Amino acid sequence: MTPLGKVYGPTSGQFAADAVRRAVADAGLKLADVDGLLTSSGVTGGVSIDLQRDLGLINLRLLSHMQAYGSTAGGMVQFASMAVLSGMADVVACVFADSPLQPERSAGAVYGSRRAPAGWWGLLGASGVIGANPMYALAARRHMARFGTTSEQLGHIAVAQRDWAALNPAAQLRDPITLADHQASRWIVEPFHLLDCCLVSNGGIAVIVTTAERAAALAQPPVHVLGWAQSHPGRYLRRNPDFGLVSGAAIAGPAALDMARRDLADVDVVELYDCYTFTVLLTLEDYGFCPKGEGGAFVASGVLGPGGKLPLNTGGGQLSSYYMWGMTPLSEAIIQTRGQGGARQSSTHDVVLVSGNGGVLDHHSTLVLATEAGAL
Amino acid sequence: VTVGPVVRDEATAEFFDAAATGRFLLRRCPVGHVSEPAATQCTTCEASHLEWIEAGGGASLVSWAVSWSRPAADDEPRRTVLVIGELDEGPWWWAQLAEDLDPESAELAPGRRLRIDFQRPDNEHEWVPVFLLA
Repeated sequence: MTPLGKVYGPTSGQFAADAVRRAVADAGLKLADVDGLLTSSGVTGGVSIDLQRDLGLINLRLLSHMQAYGSTAGGMVQFASMAVLSGMADVVACVFADSPLQPERSAGAVYGSRRAPAGWWGLLGASGVIGANPMYALAARRHMARFGTTSEQLGHIAVAQRDWAALNPAAQLRDPITLADHQASRWIVEPFHLLDCCLVSNGGIAVIVTTAERAAALAQPPVHVLGWAQSHPGRYLRRNPDFGLVSGAAIAGPAALDMARRDLADVDVVELYDCYTFTVLLTLEDYGFCPKGEGGAFVASGVLGPGGKLPLNTGGGQLSSYYMWGMTPLSEAIIQTRGQGGARQSSTHDVVLVSGNGGVLDHHSTLVLATEAGAL
Repeated sequence: VTVGPVVRDEATAEFFDAAATGRFLLRRCPVGHVSEPAATQCTTCEASHLEWIEAGGGASLVSWAVSWSRPAADDEPRRTVLVIGELDEGPWWWAQLAEDLDPESAELAPGRRLRIDFQRPDNEHEWVPVFLLA
């Protein structure tokens, strides 16, 4: 990963190139070893298959740009895994980079500037539904109204992740917060306080996917991909009885664990996509860590945070560490699986569950990572 | 009035023509299934030939959120209640609740009856659907 956060100067494309160079070196490879490249970009674009030229990659056997929003990083690892399993490619670099932050310009201005003035999208904006905040707030409120979930319960997630971030030197926000701080932070869109919402970061992260045989001979402890799945429910801006209550995680999570021949009891560390605190709560329910509707009580029960029974978003997540879309949970999952988490390292890390979430709970990817090879 | 400006395009022309006369249009397939205004094929049976029909204007509250924004840095935060309404014909619609009420009000609960109304920010732009308490 490149330096992350308020890093000004490089373009998204330059962050992407830097991330791939760093990942290749980290693995003990050379760029000339890369024969597959999957690129992805964030809100500002700027990353494309032109990255092949920027990196001087010759005779690639796999090249594509992917976009399923926050589920993309997990999706890239899935396609890269299939490519190396089939023999289509041997060493696939998967990269995400974004540079929404500019000096003297608020993150809200960047993320709100996509408002379209015409047609159906313009009408949505004219109605006041601009960007992700209102949509996720509507989802969270529906969960609250149905199940009695409270803002204080969501606050437990924010506090626990900040406690983890304090142990992560790469995290942007490391000062501890309390539940009272969460409740006192300003409203963004009720029921979300500021501390329910992810931060915004510049930077890039890349991962290298290769065969288990080749990985065994490289510089880092191998991280085996045991299982994966996606789910895209497909009811964005449509009547959706599941809206705010059930996401694609309910399908992708069990499917990925089934493929990995593992169950929840085998999972040592959980890294969940956290654009908002609520996304974490809903994914925990959908994955089955607690019964549907009981996520609020579950996250408030003391299981989260350093020393809790469930090592969840151990780097601080997108709420407190860095906002690299699906690469945030994926990168921390790789760090934990390798056992390189330093002060925040989970003592058990044989099986790590990773989620990606995109759109408004519209796109989900799940990965099951492990220290030992599976049946694949 | 807190709705924003929007201009029509080819796909929304008939919708905005109706909105200007206080009518909310939906899409209906030959079988009679009703889809949301932006649908290009029936959400129930996949039929691609859809006609416009006029909604009754009644709806029920699905969810709500309260957006706080500062139009300019020095302004007092402005509160806007955004809701999803389930139209009586079935489709959902995302719009403002154009009522001055406390967000903690017991008026805001799933199933609360709503009705469609229309506002526009100025004379230059299209009429925008909003919800009112019924």
